[in-house]
Amino acid sequence: MLKTAFFTLLSLAIAIGGGGGSVWYALQAQSGVGAISIGQWTAFPEIGTQDADPYSKARVAREGVLALGKAEGLSFIAERDAAGDELKRQCDYRIDGSFPTARFWTLYAADQSLGVVDTGKPRLAALQSYQVLRQPDNSVIITVGNRPAPGNWLLTEGFGRMYFVLTFYDTPIASSTGLSDVTLPRIVKAGCNA
Amino acid sequence: MRRLLHAILLGLLGAGIVHIVVLLLVPEFTERDAWSRLALASDLYKMTRLDAEAGGAPVVKSVDPMFYAAACRFDLAEGMVRIKAPGSVPFWSVSVYDRNGHNFYSFNDHTATGNKLDTVVLTPAQMIDVRRELPEDLQGAIFVEAPIEEGIFVIRAFVPDDSWKPVVSQFLEQSSCELQDY
Repeated sequence: MLKTAFFTLLSLAIAIGGGGGSVWYALQAQSGVGAISIGQWTAFPEIGTQDADPYSKARVAREGVLALGKAEGLSFIAERDAAGDELKRQCDYRIDGSFPTARFWTLYAADQSLGVVDTGKPRLAALQSYQVLRQPDNSVIITVGNRPAPGNWLLTEGFGRMYFVLTFYDTPIASSTGLSDVTLPRIVKAGCNA
Repeated sequence: MRRLLHAILLGLLGAGIVHIVVLLLVPEFTERDAWSRLALASDLYKMTRLDAEAGGAPVVKSVDPMFYAAACRFDLAEGMVRIKAPGSVPFWSVSVYDRNGHNFYSFNDHTATGNKLDTVVLTPAQMIDVRRELPEDLQGAIFVEAPIEEGIFVIRAFVPDDSWKPVVSQFLEQSSCELQDY
């Protein structure tokens, strides 16, 4: 009798714990169903629409996101550099390459909650395409770090994990057919101050 | 031993079922979705700033730091809603979301006549009524047909640098979200 109760309880514990836990885990992960990866960058073109998969829908509801519409733009998030290491706020990075067609783009360094990194200074940890200097071939080189750098400098500050969020506004790539032959800039680690 | 294995297998099967059920129920029961957050911050038909610039924590997450945004909640069962914003800014875009935060319509300043934000959100039934005789002052407006009742309207405006902050702030502050009599 006691054994039956024990086994029933065990089954229930696995079912409820495992079921709930796996949903929580799936919603935490940055990648997942519906993601499109280009290099180190990941986007969810379907997020926040009626066609989205149940995981995206749950994520939208749980985090209270109001995702960008297709006529507005498309966001890419990077959590690793080209070598596959996690991005750190105490490290310097170089982001270089060409950017796909868009009216303009913005790039910012984000913390765990994808809010902009607090630099504690008037300068935002963000850049936009109207203010960047370009190479002769129209590509852009951006230096990321907490020390001023010549050219394009993205200020970051502090310790811990970091994400880059790159958003293209009013862009043809937001319609999914445009995503097939898009190349995005590379993220290369230049060194760490740790 | 076989009963232990049996219990674990049964548990894993149950975990799969619970996983699916929980996943589908999250959107129904969450109290942290955009609509609920906005409801805490303000009433229907009231433009609310979403960015942190206006003071306090941002109401809704993941607004680009180089953007200001404002949102209002509406209920088409009470009538159609008209959203206007005077002035011009480097870039604005708007989205209409349903009660669950699903985006179903968006456009930007290139779509609008003269880059002026003047739009009416209405149900297909209301659209038929309006089409019969289009009022004079709605001539230039963009009509968004929405098969919903409750929804959220969001305006996003680009702030290229600090000097644009007052202009863009004013653009959003002067935006209106009103029940339109017809």
